[in-house]
Amino acid sequence: MIEAFGFNSLREVIAALLMLCGLVFFIGSAIGMLRLPDFYSRIHASGNSETLGCALSFIGLMIYEGATLTTVKMAFAFLIVFLANPIGSHILSKAAYKSGHPVWTLKSKGAKKLVGLEKPGHSADEPVGNLKKKEEK
Amino acid sequence: MEKQGVLNNNNIAGSPLIHKLCLGVVLFGFWMVLSGRTETKFIVYGILTAVVTTWLTYPLLLVPNKDGSKRYFVFGVSLPKFIMYFFWLMWQLVLANIDVLLATTSQELNIDPKVVRFYFKVDNPMASVVLANSITLTPGTVTINVTDDGLYEIHALTAGAAAGVLDGSMQRKVAGLYGEKFDFAVAESEE
Repeated sequence: MIEAFGFNSLREVIAALLMLCGLVFFIGSAIGMLRLPDFYSRIHASGNSETLGCALSFIGLMIYEGATLTTVKMAFAFLIVFLANPIGSHILSKAAYKSGHPVWTLKSKGAKKLVGLEKPGHSADEPVGNLKKKEEK
Repeated sequence: MEKQGVLNNNNIAGSPLIHKLCLGVVLFGFWMVLSGRTETKFIVYGILTAVVTTWLTYPLLLVPNKDGSKRYFVFGVSLPKFIMYFFWLMWQLVLANIDVLLATTSQELNIDPKVVRFYFKVDNPMASVVLANSITLTPGTVTINVTDDGLYEIHALTAGAAAGVLDGSMQRKVAGLYGEKFDFAVAESEE
């Protein structure tokens, strides 16, 4: 049954499933990058979701590779991502915070704009608040 | 536990000899994994490299605490405890990641970004580093600033992530990892 999908063993199926799960988190990260409102929230999408995506992809690759030296090297590569990724996120957000970049909150910008952002096909130049008011009339 | 250090420093927490031994063994293991060859020549090279690297880097891996009365070894943490903490953190990571994924891909974009603040004071500077790194690693929360007096400023993406940081479970785990007494208090938020 596995051979019908082009797999040779159960191990390859498990590896493929894990990598697929990792891909889901990478795609979620990309979607978050496009949808979230400001710099700080986009750091969450870019930096953090990637960690689990990376973890699952690497575990998939390690299972695919089996118990060899390459597996251990991949574990080291994952460990470096695991340690360096939060440091990068932290330094970026700290630089933005120290230079006084404003934090987008529901209170400061209003919940309406958040709904307005969701409208499909509205142009970025158009003020979102006005768009919402026009529709209410 | 306190022994006279090699560099006449008796303020190092733990025994410098054991620290150096552990560091050397880990470096030699790293050499073996990366080289993957078991001829005598390469093993001798590996041992020599590990010894020299340990000798050169050990003084750099000691971090002083705030008042400078004590110095801590950077990797001075018990391995079983750290592995337990690592798996606990991975599990938290999975839970939080699914939470953030659902929030950012939902139709209404269920986010409530804000900055939350709390105080976390420990003597060991590595404990605060591990806490800041763990918070940043957990999806939905990013440490944007840590001040010298232990004020953490965290940017939380969702309401659940903010509550998770402020309930103090991760702070307890980190302090337990280093066997440290800690002060934890939620600071008033500006918003």
